Parts: sequence; structure tokens; C-alpha cells
Amino acid sequence: MLREFHYMTPPEGISGKTETPQEKQGGLSADLCELGATGSRDAFARIFAEMAPRLRAFMLKNGLGASAAEEVLQETLLRVWRKAHLFDPEKSSASTWIHTIARNVKIDRLRKEARPEPDPEDPSFIPAAPETGEENMARKQDSALIRKAMSVLPPEQLRIITMSFYEEKSHGEIAEELGVPLGTVKSRIRLAFGKIRAEVEKMQ
Amino acid sequence: MTIRHHIADDTLMAYVGGTLAPSLSVAVATHLAICPRCRDSVAMMEEVASLYLEETEPLSHSEKDKDAALLDQIMATPRTETAEQGAVSSLAGPAIGSVPRPLADYMPVPLDQVPWKRLVPGISHYPLPQPGGKRKGSALRLLKIAPGTRIPEHSHSGQELTLILEGSYIDEIGRFQKGDIADLDNEIHHQPVADTDQDCICLIATDGPLKFSGIFSRLLQPIIGI
Ligand SMILES: [Zn+2]
Repeated sequence: MLREFHYMTPPEGISGKTETPQEKQGGLSADLCELGATGSRDAFARIFAEMAPRLRAFMLKNGLGASAAEEVLQETLLRVWRKAHLFDPEKSSASTWIHTIARNVKIDRLRKEARPEPDPEDPSFIPAAPETGEENMARKQDSALIRKAMSVLPPEQLRIITMSFYEEKSHGEIAEELGVPLGTVKSRIRLAFGKIRAEVEKMQ
Repeated sequence: MTIRHHIADDTLMAYVGGTLAPSLSVAVATHLAICPRCRDSVAMMEEVASLYLEETEPLSHSEKDKDAALLDQIMATPRTETAEQGAVSSLAGPAIGSVPRPLADYMPVPLDQVPWKRLVPGISHYPLPQPGGKRKGSALRLLKIAPGTRIPEHSHSGQELTLILEGSYIDEIGRFQKGDIADLDNEIHHQPVADTDQDCICLIATDGPLKFSGIFSRLLQPIIGI
């Protein structure tokens, strides 16, 4: 499955991994739940060992200076340590939860102000209708399904997702670099996510 | 509240990636607070984004000493008392009335006490402070449209998000009611009209000035000041 995914890998290519992402996810998710429930230092040490080196490499790759990258890494892992009880394995995979924290730390740092976000504690917040057991089952495989769905995207759509999420470029920067109108970038994004949704639904 | 008009995927993606203008991000976050469907899309995009982290290999040289020191430093920090903290933060929040918090954070007064400024008969506005400071061509404002009033025809040189807070309006695209968001880019010319006997109050976030057409509109533009 990883080979089908080659458009989004860094130029060095994929090194031989012994664990599949799913197996790794399982351990990470269990550790994060344990940390949230008991404050286990062992669980946190395992999460740290798994995530810190990869987060650091991810932070450094787009020109964030070494000291800025360390600050983002430190703040991210501190939030993981303090907020693990907020992790809900039904709602996202463990690495997505940690990655989202890292992205927010980085965004807030660049903007010098927190990005506005919905707050589930807000009395005006409207929660989702309670899920059926069946939907819960589907959710747990989303990460694998999404990975698979992305492999069917045409190269020009995958390219734009990679430029957005891996190279962290704005739509305007992408349009300029590819020499296409902004509207084309937007419509490719809409097509890509439409296709990912349709593929995931087909596989469920 | 049944939401029929949602945020386009390209806008959501820019929000998730942190490249969306701060003014537009306020409108997005406010809609997300009331729209489980768009929150699902955000969750999906976050999964997509995190695949790229999974594909990132650690640096070839390891940072064992640095890591060991950082691990010790973090674990020396007390973990927060979860339930209490949550309760305190929700009580300490601003008085929000019926406006979701992402917007309430930028509202100096509650929605029912807004000191509206009249622009032209039937249309008043209230500029909100800009998240992250002033930015050229970027604005966040509330607009109140009296029943039957038509907004002059205009298009956008940048992006505009309109979130309906009260009442409704109708335009070439469809009918927009409370909770609906119109995600328009520069290709669309439209002329919304408040279509019930109630004032239509909406949040308008722009990045890039509006372009009005017609003499009346050109008169209006300097007044709105965008
Ligand atoms: Zn929505």
C-alpha cells in the first residue's frame, strides 16, 4: 500500500519499515489513552520516543530554524503530556491527534495569536448526533481507508494536497508555483476531497 | 437548525493547513462550532495531513541527549487537573449569548447590544476588530439588512465568507438561513436580498476588497471602506 502512495513521499523514498502504520497506531493509541487515564510516565516516554524524532524532522523540513523547531516540538509534547485525557480514539487516530496539536502550535507561533477554533465546552456548540456502533467501527479504519483512497487520486490532485500539507504552501503560492489560476487549484482540491470521500464510502 | 450551505473543501483545507486569512478563519471556526458535518470534513483532512507526518523519516543523526533532557523537563511539569480546569475555562469565558465562542471572542458587545452604524437605508454594519491585527484588504464585520432590502450587486477580488446569524436572505445561489455559510470567490456576482419580515444579521469576513458595480454601489463603497 505504501508504494501506491509514492507521490507524497519525500524524494529519498521510503525506507523499509518493519511495523505497518496500523500496528504502530495501535500502540500509540493505547499509550495515549493510558497516559490520559493514569498519567503513566512509561506511556509518555514511549510516545515521546515514537513521535519526537519524526516531529522534529517534519518541523525542520520546511525551513523552520533549528531553535524554532525545538520550541514547537517542546510545546507540542508538553501539550500531549498535559492534555492526553482529551484524546478520543473514536474521533481520531493517535498520530493525527498529536500532529494536529503540532500544526496548531506552529500556526499560532507564526500568527502570534491563536487560530480561532470551535470549543466543545461552548454552550453554543452543536455536538454531532450520537453515532451508531456501526459508524464507530468505520471510524477506526478511517486512517487506513483514507490512505488507500488517496492512492487513486490523479497525480495533479495529489500534488496539490502534498504541496498544502507537506510543503505547507498556501493556495496562492501553489498556483504561482504550478503556473495555473487560483481557481484551478481550488477546483482540484474540491475534486480531490470529493473523490477521497467517495472512495472511503465505497470501502466501508 | 438545518444547515444547507457549507464551507467549500478548499477553504476548509486552507483552515486546516493554517494558511487561511485570520478574518476568514473566524467565520470558518464559527460555522464549525455549529456544523458537525464540516467538523467531519476537518477531521478527514487532519487524517490526510497526518499521513505526511507518518511518511516523514527521523533525521539521520539522532538527538538522544537533547531528547533525554526534554523528556525529563516535560515530565517534571505537573499534569493539569482535568475536570476542574475545563469547568473554570467555560465559566471564565465571555458572555456569549447566542453567538458561538470563536465569534464571541471578537465581539466587544453581545449581539443584541451592537451599536449599528447605518450605511444606507436598510443596511447597517458594525466593524469588528481584526484577528491578528490589521491586514490589507482583510475585514471582519457584522451586517444588518432590513427585510426586503437588496445589497448592491458586487463581486469579490478576494474571498468572502458570509455566515447567517439571524434571519435569512436569498440570492442567485439560493436561500441562506441561520447557520448557513456562503463561501464565494471572485467569479460570483451576487445581489442578496433579505427575504423575510425579520432583519437578516450576518457575519462577513473578507480577504481582498469587494468590488461593487453601478453608480449607487460606487457611492456605497467608500462608505463601507473596503
Ligand atoms: Zn457546514
